[in-house]
Amino acid sequence: MVANSPLSRTKDGGVMSLLIVDHVTKTYTSSHWFRAKRKEEEAALSGVSFVVEPGMCMGILGESGAGKSTLGRIVLGLLPPDSGRISFNGVDLYRATRRERKRLRRDLQVVFQDSYSAVNPRMSVLQIIGEPLRNFERLSAQEERRVVAGLLETVGLVTDDMHKHPQQMSGGQLQRVNIARAIALKPKLIVLDEPVSSLDMIVQKQILYHLKELKEKYGLSYLFISHDLLAVNVLSDRVAIMDKGKLELMLKES
Amino acid sequence: MEGLRRLGWGIRRHRLISLCIVLLSMIVLSGLFAPQLAPNDPNFVDLIHKLEGPSTQFPLGTDQLGRCLFSRLLYGTRISLSLALLIVTSCLAVGLVIGSAAGYIGGKIDSLIMRICDAILAIPSLILAISLIAVWGAGWKQMAIALIIVQSVYYARFIRGMVRNIKQQNYVTAARIAGTSPLRMMTRHIIPNLLPPLFIVVTLEIGWVIMDISALSFIGLGVQSPTPEWGAMINDGKSLLRSHPRLMIVPGLMIFCMVALLNLLGEFLGERKGFTKSIRKMAKEARGS
Repeated sequence: MVANSPLSRTKDGGVMSLLIVDHVTKTYTSSHWFRAKRKEEEAALSGVSFVVEPGMCMGILGESGAGKSTLGRIVLGLLPPDSGRISFNGVDLYRATRRERKRLRRDLQVVFQDSYSAVNPRMSVLQIIGEPLRNFERLSAQEERRVVAGLLETVGLVTDDMHKHPQQMSGGQLQRVNIARAIALKPKLIVLDEPVSSLDMIVQKQILYHLKELKEKYGLSYLFISHDLLAVNVLSDRVAIMDKGKLELMLKES
Repeated sequence: MEGLRRLGWGIRRHRLISLCIVLLSMIVLSGLFAPQLAPNDPNFVDLIHKLEGPSTQFPLGTDQLGRCLFSRLLYGTRISLSLALLIVTSCLAVGLVIGSAAGYIGGKIDSLIMRICDAILAIPSLILAISLIAVWGAGWKQMAIALIIVQSVYYARFIRGMVRNIKQQNYVTAARIAGTSPLRMMTRHIIPNLLPPLFIVVTLEIGWVIMDISALSFIGLGVQSPTPEWGAMINDGKSLLRSHPRLMIVPGLMIFCMVALLNLLGEFLGERKGFTKSIRKMAKEARGS
């Protein structure tokens, strides 16, 4: 199946890229029953292309309003692009069958900027991190508890934190919970949408180094979206600068 | 100084609310145990004792047919409250299904459902209920169905707004990415976060429904005369307003207390949770009055 797909062949040939974003365009339209569709002047994304290889961190750097978050949503499969293709692991994300998509879901996770709004305030940490596990794996309550405890340790929290509720945690701790949820299913790619922007400098640094460690340990790939040059620098193997919906510049780091 | 004053305010408000809760539970309990508490049969006609003043046998006196006003009031509490609860829970069920479907699915289905709701809301709810009863005939069942139809629309609209609000939250997106199915999303993320504001709305709404029931019963469309119900009791007493105002004032006071207490409680709960303003606005908007 994968071998026959034209998308699995990259320009470099050889190794298949994990994520291929191919000439993606997106314009927000305001359509209404009594009004004709009208295109707004500027496209949120126009002709964006890049690839992410396994184990690589791609940094997307840009000002607010440059279309970074739109790109993140499209890559996550939440927002169909107007044109262009997203291929993840050799499967076209927006043309996949329902079953394929469900399988892809496992390998594609996210960490949002605002750690508080990204968790249901009525759930405990155990329930939050356990949610993806419950959706994809059949674990007994005991097993789930053990897996969650392991994940909490992996992200630098203590096992007892699993009984806490989001209100009882700091932003940095909660962001670690979000990271634990994202890595719970051992995904291939995590979209980091400004993951440290709302935290103070020391916590930022800790979390960035932690993310770097996780990447090396599990061979994760990241799509790191940020407006913070320093943060992008710490983590990324390759950086693209985005402006007004276009990828302007690619920087490769050694 | 400022802090002290604020603290004083807090306690005073709290006292008011605890009083309000005590009074409300007293009313509810008296309705619940009406058969045990009532000194007389509420429907026993005793023309010899008609229009008597308060006495040990009749704590609030008797009406023009010699029926014990106090007993009728207790039984009336029972009927008004259970009818209001029945109507509100049915509305909640209907509104939850329609509202969450519209809010969660969105798009054309949402527009269609909401336009139908708008059309129903364009007619004042009590007038619409009256015209529905006019078609089906008077009686408490017809009144309940009419009120359920009219009120459900309001619930659906309110719930739809809340669901749309919650759906935009990041944690719903995160759950979607974590592979949560729509059904689970509803039961685990959306409905649990919907309940606290909904509880407050229901508190306020029970008061409104009691008013509606009394109003419809007063004009003879709801609960019919021999059955004791506050609105129907006011109607019974209206011809004797000049000579015996007690017959109207007592059940009227009961309605007033009930609605005022429920409103106080609802507002207080809303304020504590910090969304009184938005709820009041939404409630007003959806009620169209």
